[in-house]
Amino acid sequence: MSAPAAPKLVGARVPRLEDPRLLTGQGRYVDDHRPARTLHAAFLRTPHAHARILRIDAEAARALPGVAAVLTGEDMARDCKPVRAGSRMPAYKVTSFPALAQGKVRYTGEAVAMVAAESRYLAEDALDCIVVEYEPLPAVAAMEAALAPGAPVLHEEAGDNLLLAREFACGDVDGALAGAHLVVRERFRFHRHTAVCMENRGALAEYASATGTLTLRSSAQCPGIVRDVLADLLDIPEHLIRVVAADVGGGFGAKASLYPEEIAVCVMARRLGRPVKWIGDRREDLLATSHAWDEIVEAELGVAADGTIVGLRAEVMADVGAYSIYPWTAAIEPVQTISFLPGPYRIEHYRGRTRGIATCKAPMGPYRGVGRPPAVFVMEGLLDRAARRLGMDPTALRLRNFIRAEDFPYKSPSGIVWDRSSFTETMLRAREALGWEAARAEAARSRAAGRWVGVGVASYVELTGIGSAIAVSPGMPVPTGTEAATIRVDPAGTVTAVFGIASHGQGLETTLAQVVADELGVPIETVRVLHGDTALSPYGTGTYASRSTVLAGGAGILAGRDVREKTLRIAAHLLEAHPADLVVQDGRVAVRGLPDRYVTVRDVAKAAYGGVRHLPRGMEPGLEATRFYDPYYGTASNATHMAVVEVDRETFHVRILRYLVAEDCGRIINPLVVDGQVHGGVAQGVGAALLEEIVYDGEGQLLTGTLMDYLVPTASEVPAMEVHHVETPSPTTLGGFRGMGEGGTIGAPAVIANAVSDALAELGIEVNELPLSPERLFRRIVGGS
Amino acid sequence: MAEMVTVRLKVNGVAHEGRCEPRKLLVDFLREDLELTGTHIGCEHGICGACTILFNGEAARSCIMLAVQADGSEILTVEGLMQNGTLHPLQEAFREHHGLQCGFCTPGMLMTALDFLKTNPSPTEAEVREGISAVLCRCTGYQGIVNAVRAAARTLGGAAKVESGT
Amino acid sequence: MKPPKFDYHAPRSVDEALGLLQRYGGDAKVLAGGQSLMPLLNFRLSRPAALVDLNRIPSLAYITEQDGQVRLGAMTRQRTIEFSPVVKERLPLLREATKLVGHLPIRTRGTIGGSLAHADPSAEYPAVLTALEGEVVARGPKGERVIKAKNLFRTYLTTSLEPDEILVEVRMPAMPAGAGFALEEFARRHGDFAIIGIAAMVVRDGPRCRTARLTTAGAGPVPLRLRAAEEILERDGLTDAAIEAAARRASELVSPDADIHASADYRRHLTGVLTKRALKRALGAARG
Ligand SMILES: Cc1cc2nc3c(=O)[nH]c(=O)nc-3n(C[C@H](O)[C@H](O)[C@H](O)COP(=O)(O)OP(=O)(O)OC[C@H]3O[C@@H](n4cnc5c(N)ncnc54)[C@H](O)[C@@H]3O)c2cc1C
Ligand code: FES
Ligand code: FES
Repeated sequence: MSAPAAPKLVGARVPRLEDPRLLTGQGRYVDDHRPARTLHAAFLRTPHAHARILRIDAEAARALPGVAAVLTGEDMARDCKPVRAGSRMPAYKVTSFPALAQGKVRYTGEAVAMVAAESRYLAEDALDCIVVEYEPLPAVAAMEAALAPGAPVLHEEAGDNLLLAREFACGDVDGALAGAHLVVRERFRFHRHTAVCMENRGALAEYASATGTLTLRSSAQCPGIVRDVLADLLDIPEHLIRVVAADVGGGFGAKASLYPEEIAVCVMARRLGRPVKWIGDRREDLLATSHAWDEIVEAELGVAADGTIVGLRAEVMADVGAYSIYPWTAAIEPVQTISFLPGPYRIEHYRGRTRGIATCKAPMGPYRGVGRPPAVFVMEGLLDRAARRLGMDPTALRLRNFIRAEDFPYKSPSGIVWDRSSFTETMLRAREALGWEAARAEAARSRAAGRWVGVGVASYVELTGIGSAIAVSPGMPVPTGTEAATIRVDPAGTVTAVFGIASHGQGLETTLAQVVADELGVPIETVRVLHGDTALSPYGTGTYASRSTVLAGGAGILAGRDVREKTLRIAAHLLEAHPADLVVQDGRVAVRGLPDRYVTVRDVAKAAYGGVRHLPRGMEPGLEATRFYDPYYGTASNATHMAVVEVDRETFHVRILRYLVAEDCGRIINPLVVDGQVHGGVAQGVGAALLEEIVYDGEGQLLTGTLMDYLVPTASEVPAMEVHHVETPSPTTLGGFRGMGEGGTIGAPAVIANAVSDALAELGIEVNELPLSPERLFRRIVGGS
Repeated sequence: MAEMVTVRLKVNGVAHEGRCEPRKLLVDFLREDLELTGTHIGCEHGICGACTILFNGEAARSCIMLAVQADGSEILTVEGLMQNGTLHPLQEAFREHHGLQCGFCTPGMLMTALDFLKTNPSPTEAEVREGISAVLCRCTGYQGIVNAVRAAARTLGGAAKVESGT
Repeated sequence: MKPPKFDYHAPRSVDEALGLLQRYGGDAKVLAGGQSLMPLLNFRLSRPAALVDLNRIPSLAYITEQDGQVRLGAMTRQRTIEFSPVVKERLPLLREATKLVGHLPIRTRGTIGGSLAHADPSAEYPAVLTALEGEVVARGPKGERVIKAKNLFRTYLTTSLEPDEILVEVRMPAMPAGAGFALEEFARRHGDFAIIGIAAMVVRDGPRCRTARLTTAGAGPVPLRLRAAEEILERDGLTDAAIEAAARRASELVSPDADIHASADYRRHLTGVLTKRALKRALGAARG
């Protein structure tokens, strides 16, 4: 079998194929679809954090002109099952998450009724007319108090508010810490955040009663998962449901879960026989899109006198909000935190315990990094504390403890297997690129001159492209280990490649086209990538967990190889040559060394569809292939971030003077796209570290319900970034790709915290709480009530 | 009962007329009544900038304006940037410098940058950051956008002026 | 987030607008730039029976200079002010403040009258009007009256304008030639309302300080004139020690409130810090 010509497109800065439509206003996001007779939905959201619903009177709303229907939780329950996110984890309690509240509400913003009307304006008018009588119940506001005896219980079926608990233990950590030269300990607090995709969530359902088919257009990352679960909840055969996620305005994990509104529009559309569209507004987004990262971590790290880590112990509490989100469950954040806490380090003795606690807040779900932004903040913070006490350079301490080349594959104390990664190399590259010694010396001089300047470092490893060996979220029963591609060459020789993943900004239409074009030896202009449509693609789940490049890329390579092989065999037949003597490049199949003896891919395709008369004996007509790929364990990408910051001595404002990333995402398909992912990830990490925080008061009322209060960084708050690449092709995945996309957000909070701690070292202040608002620094530095 | 109002305006050089309730937001009028869905909605309270258009030549938020207020005005939306099938130099620069990912902020970002470059044709990096801080982007970390706007400034002739001026 | 129903009127003259306000007897709202009112409507936090839109009254938008005073029509856009040569020359503090009001696309629509009538305690314009001892002209059914800055702002989002009155003009005395000025503000993001802002103006007379003006934004329910701090400077001159003392005094004079972004203590602290910074910068710019 002939190898493809050397890759030409993989590795090149190919301008994105999706850009022309997005730059000219021709993108088609959910809200841009307006089928005839569409009804517009709006949800009545409760102002109570915790209350029993006594009565809902929707008569006045139903009577308003232009209102087609009003549904309550009881109506909804007749038409669909509640979501129950299951898990194989032993200490996990399954609870119900109804599409509209039934019997009681558990967080401010939970939907209690749904209106469908001729316009969104009229639908909101109708909401104003619905009267709900509540019996307020005491709120479960803080996770610390939620487990106290006698605390109000959110889910009666669970018995208490502890929805899950898990422990990873390896070695004898208590003994190791008892014998350590030095133990550093800290209580870390990472506050609540949310993704704020610029496109709010939206869903549009159409039901055809004659055929029983349901089409849902949704701003979803996982159309496959949504389709599968809708079939069950709505009792519709799976093959009659089509879920489409075409252009999606950002997801970052927050659109990877199933949401009540997606179910509700389907129910409403099936009841009324008209298309029903719900476009969430920003208020609804902040109230009811999943939140993230809200954790308290008490951790201890023991080291030997030379800085070698001897043991790590951690207790994690996560505020998982009011419901366990499908399919990831409430476990995704808290368990990931203890899974990844040991990071890229050799740690023999480890114990991580985690608890997921229900409170009256929007459900917690995956958001860029999932568990790792807090985990890395904790681990890297502990390492810096140890380095400071030992008088060691923080990079030297890390270099001493990294998993080394000879250790791979390395099984982490939480059971993850790391394949060959470049922990040491990215650290060295970052040191060199920043000029670590010089930057530290310069910062020291600035501090001597009275400025609070500091330099920080943070390293991490993220598990990416996870195959079937483990579930993306611990214990979840939905399989997430495979993806597929169908590659079809049509008679004119142009190529359609269909994937089950769903791109929402990552540029997968371009990067996957690069992979496929190289594999087939055709120009990229002749390849069209389709994705995000369950009716078009072979079975797949979607885009999450930095998996799409690895899984879809791998499937694309496999399918591409099949198509190439057949192309060569047909071409050999047409050219009367041997397939092994042929090369395919730029859409031509030529005899090696005889560039004038060729047929085009178009000639081959024509022959393929021309019937057996034109084909080698015994060959079936057609030129397409569908292949599935399962990378089994998956792979990993890693990076070292460095930052130089200055804290204003008077206002306590933190300014980032320099920001640098040395990362390794394996074989790079498109540097433009990779850099973009790093930049975007870092910006979200900067927001997480300095600006963004979801705040509820003690009664469970959301205080950050607008973008005036939830502070997404603007271009003025995000620093210019330098990105350096160490390219270590993954030994375990097809193509050598390692997933990426979350890393920026994982490293940034930790590195900023560490740089600020360095800047404030003389004051003895070590950052243990994020975001680092000026208010918090003021309280640490000046005091005050 | 609020009466319907007539709105006559020019969008991207084309005259349009529509009837709507006075409370209808300009952005909804553009998207629903004129089917120009390129202008996006991200917050409806003036912060995110996704809905930014040029209103009589100046960038403004169409989510906090009423359609009826646009009666008699001239509006430019993202759909009007491309001329004769050729991308505007600013659009070109966004593509070249990867100034967009999901594309949702992009229409508002383009219109804002266009207006900004009119008021400041040869901006420094800090000025570009300040100018585009009017629009939130959650995908790009702004780096590609900053590079794109600076490059567009050069293409559009700003840089030449600086060099000859100094 | 769609606004509730309302009647809509776009009068062509102030008199017509006043008539409409009277007709609705307090249930109508004036619509100026809409940059504050429209978000409130979209959140349905405000539900007026009618909007009286001033945007079709061209006579309300102007900038003129008269008797040492700059007069700005209430509907003058913030963007116009930003680029006005008269404002640059005579009211450079107002120009500096304007650049801190939101972002350019906000200033395209936002008006000076709207900002003052809205009376957000964190806004820049109320602080500047107070610092410069400006005044506004209100017109109502009983005719016109002039309201001095110190009498205009009552509390959060509340002015002494009657519901049937329209703010028609803003007047600010031209700043003395050579006056030093600065508006120092601290906001967590570019373009946001200030957590604390300090508007400062100093007029030097050799080593002495002839006039000092200091006002706050964000340090209480209304912009606060820091007279006791000003007096320190007018008495002791613009020495470092006097500036330090004035800044200390400033932080004692305010009693700010807490919100999710800043506690009262931190705001008080910032008041001192920004007063010092504003005075230093004003001093650096002052001539005479
Ligand atoms: C994203 C964003 C950022 C912003 N940042 C800032 C900032 O940093 N600093 C700042 O100061 N402002 C800021 N604003 C507010 C903006 O400056 C507004 O322009 C201003 O507060 C109100 O002016 P307007 O002309 O838009 O008034 P409108 O919103 O039309 O009206 C505001 C209120 O004043 C009343 N009113 C308006 N004009 C008159 C009049 N002539 N007579 C009587 N009553 C009247 C209205 O009835 C209404 O109650 C921001 C707004 C946005 C959307
Ligand atoms: S939608 Fe208009 S500014 Fe956000
Ligand atoms: S490109 Fe997605 S928000 Fe800017």
